[in-house]
Amino acid sequence: MLFRKKKIEDKIEDQILQNENRDQEYWALVKRQFYKNRLAVWSLRIFYVIFFVAVFADFLANEKPIVAKLDGEVYFPVMNNYAVNLGLSSWEDQFVTKRWDEHNYDFVIFPPIPYSPTTIDVFNTDYVGPFDKQEVKSLRWKHWLGTDELGRDTAAGMIYGARVAIAVGVIAMSISTIIGILIGALAGYFGDNRLKMSRIRLFLNIVGFIIAVFYAFIARSYYFSNADEEGGLLQQVVISLFIFVGVMGVANLLSSFLKRISWLGEKVTIAVDILVMRAIEVLNSIPRLLLILSIVAITKPSVVNVMIIIGLISWTGIARFIRAELLRVRNLEYIEAAQALGFSEKRIIWRHAIPNALTPVLIAIAFGVASAILIEAFLSFLGIGLAAEDVTWGSLLNLARGKFAAWWLAIFPGFAIFITVTIFNLLGEGLTDALDPRLKQ
Amino acid sequence: MFQYIIKRLLIFIPTLFIISLLAFGLSKMAPGDPVELINRGGLSAGDGGQLADMLATEQTYLQTAERLGLHNPVFYLSLSPVSQSDTLYKVVKQGHQKMLKNLTGQYGNWQQVSDYYKNLRTMEAEIYKVAPDSANYSPRRKARRAVVDLFMEHKDNKITRLLETINTATKADSSMFVLQAPAQKLTDSYNKIKSEATPSKNYIPSLKFYGMDNQYHKWITGFFVGDFGYSYQDNRPISSKMWDAMRWTLIINFISIFLAYILSIPIGVNTAIRKDSTYDRVVTTILFLLYSLPVFWTGTLLIVFFTTPEYASFLNLFPTGGITDLPPSAPFMDRMLDLAHHLVLPVVCITYGSLAFISRQMRGGMLTVIRQDYIRTAKAKGLEEKQIVWKHAFRNSLFPIITLFASVFPLAIAGSVVIEVIFSIPGMGKLLFDSIISRDWPVVYTILMLAAILTMVGNLIADMLYAVADPRVTFNEKA
Repeated sequence: MLFRKKKIEDKIEDQILQNENRDQEYWALVKRQFYKNRLAVWSLRIFYVIFFVAVFADFLANEKPIVAKLDGEVYFPVMNNYAVNLGLSSWEDQFVTKRWDEHNYDFVIFPPIPYSPTTIDVFNTDYVGPFDKQEVKSLRWKHWLGTDELGRDTAAGMIYGARVAIAVGVIAMSISTIIGILIGALAGYFGDNRLKMSRIRLFLNIVGFIIAVFYAFIARSYYFSNADEEGGLLQQVVISLFIFVGVMGVANLLSSFLKRISWLGEKVTIAVDILVMRAIEVLNSIPRLLLILSIVAITKPSVVNVMIIIGLISWTGIARFIRAELLRVRNLEYIEAAQALGFSEKRIIWRHAIPNALTPVLIAIAFGVASAILIEAFLSFLGIGLAAEDVTWGSLLNLARGKFAAWWLAIFPGFAIFITVTIFNLLGEGLTDALDPRLKQ
Repeated sequence: MFQYIIKRLLIFIPTLFIISLLAFGLSKMAPGDPVELINRGGLSAGDGGQLADMLATEQTYLQTAERLGLHNPVFYLSLSPVSQSDTLYKVVKQGHQKMLKNLTGQYGNWQQVSDYYKNLRTMEAEIYKVAPDSANYSPRRKARRAVVDLFMEHKDNKITRLLETINTATKADSSMFVLQAPAQKLTDSYNKIKSEATPSKNYIPSLKFYGMDNQYHKWITGFFVGDFGYSYQDNRPISSKMWDAMRWTLIINFISIFLAYILSIPIGVNTAIRKDSTYDRVVTTILFLLYSLPVFWTGTLLIVFFTTPEYASFLNLFPTGGITDLPPSAPFMDRMLDLAHHLVLPVVCITYGSLAFISRQMRGGMLTVIRQDYIRTAKAKGLEEKQIVWKHAFRNSLFPIITLFASVFPLAIAGSVVIEVIFSIPGMGKLLFDSIISRDWPVVYTILMLAAILTMVGNLIADMLYAVADPRVTFNEKA
């Protein structure tokens, strides 16, 4: 008995190893192809730099010192700031009443740029340029990229702008990738004639959907408007989603019983592909920029909201990619083999079909990040959907329109946007070439 | 072919319906009470408010609301809890409507809530009837403030406190004593809401039908006969605002796209036939860079460096923005020249983006064509290179580029938002931007709808042209 089990395990392990070998070969090939493309490689390196800046923005530009020794005690103000934001700690009075640069430290290390993006340097207000005479204590406190009208440091703004740009790329694309993969996989795998459902299940799903919307959102609208005023909206949304899923679950459970009645159990075909493609067509026939603009206009101004809205709207490209890929994949032999083995549809889609269709999605993601960053910059350039305290590349660039003499505000932030968008476009092209050499023409 | 067009047109209708629902829904979710936005805060009664003032304000409010159709239900049908009245929409004031909805949401008894609302209205009128004098000035004002707050409040503790304020105020001066009865009635009706609460009714769904007389129906039928409603900003019809703005956007975009085509066709062809030469590499790289250049950056750079003598006097080449500096009385030619002078920078900005895109497409199209067998045949036949390129290859690669126009054009219009804002051109984009800033929602969502229709028509025309140009394209299968 024991021996047999061991044998089976060996066999499984063999298979896994074989699979991994094959995967490794494929990825090694892709990697080799990718690294041949010098532009793409450089883009990747620049991306690492921007990513580093985005992650460690607090340590690169901050009005608080990284380490400071004051009256014999050692402080780590930048680190402590995280704790304060989480409510775990609080500032001592001396730090609240006095500015950070006014203390008589025994020993202190300031970040490379000793300003936060919102720090107002009262001695250098009204657009002081990098080459103008600056009222600073020493070269250490120089505004390397100038200041704006209020005396805020441009370099600090640029560093925090990188954080916003990367966050936009990551959050917006994560949302749209998840939605895109789900919807695209449904359309691509089932096509127009492979999703069969019993009549009762179809009926109960439609009815259940309406009831679920009612109990999850309409009946609870009081709690939503309440939470809107007092906070805790997210919590209410989560509760509502649970109710929604619960009602849908009950509807499906019920249909599993009722389908034994022969008339109710008869199968109907659902043309998922047509439905999905129609939905994509509707979404695509509204100019994306205008749609995002007019949705952002009515929501509460915040960069996070903008990211979420961009994500919720930009999934169509990925969905189409996955759909086309799955339409191809589902006719391949190994899917047929999986079906012959009697695997469930769910398992075939998730374990076999999607992993094989995922590679081209990488390309769509790279281009998607570029366009998400561009759209966010566009919105914050127009000042729409931007809270007063947010500093982004777009909002910095917008300041240049207030004073034409401030060339540093026109050049640096715009250049940062341009570089970031370009490297993601180049990465996309590099991936296209590497993943599918046939397309390289 | 004919069948295909019919089919496409049939699909057009539901797509349009869904888009109109989306635009309408968004406009309903937009923040702010439309009537207040129209009247720009001119509605609040003065502090020494008289009954006549209050009634006049109310009258203006109701008239404006009626003109906007806000006294009608929102949609053909609604799904709501059974506790909520199907006549709630008749309470026109948005703030009051929200308060009533929240109260029913808490206690689930519309009958009692609406009694309370009626008593609150009586109370308000009664307070106004009390003639103000020096003795009752403060308590009367307190009571009135409390009533105004009550119209917005749904929290139990706050309502109780406000009711108490009113009750104390009615005892403060002899002239206020007449208010004691309505105040008591009000308090009683509020207590009744709480004692006769039926929150379970909030969980019984009910579907209500309202028929054709609703806001959506009025909006969409008006839309198709060109009546887009009125702007909140200046009460002008949206259509007239729109046509004024549309003119400039169309002029600029037509000029830009025309230029882009004129320039990009030779660029595309030349790079394609000299593929992999230095010329090709340089041009392709430049095009790629242009393609990635954010238009709002180039726009800002151009306006910062070329419209002021700030950096060097010879750089002050162009006017800073707007359409023209001359009065309408100036001679026609002068005005045209001035206009052209103003439009140079915006046209450059819009052109280079389309230029990069169209050139890349042209190059790609040309590359596929010159790989075809018939081109090889032509070469084998000994035809001249020029003849092959311009007579055989070019014509066949041109058509897809022309159909691109249908999709480039709506894109360009959407993209010109930022250019128009930077260069202060009174076009559609600027109108959209200004309307968003001033919360002029009807204009915003009319523009959204029109842009969507334009895009759909553009796509339709592109598909048809494609079919006309290339007989091999059939649409019998699913397109």
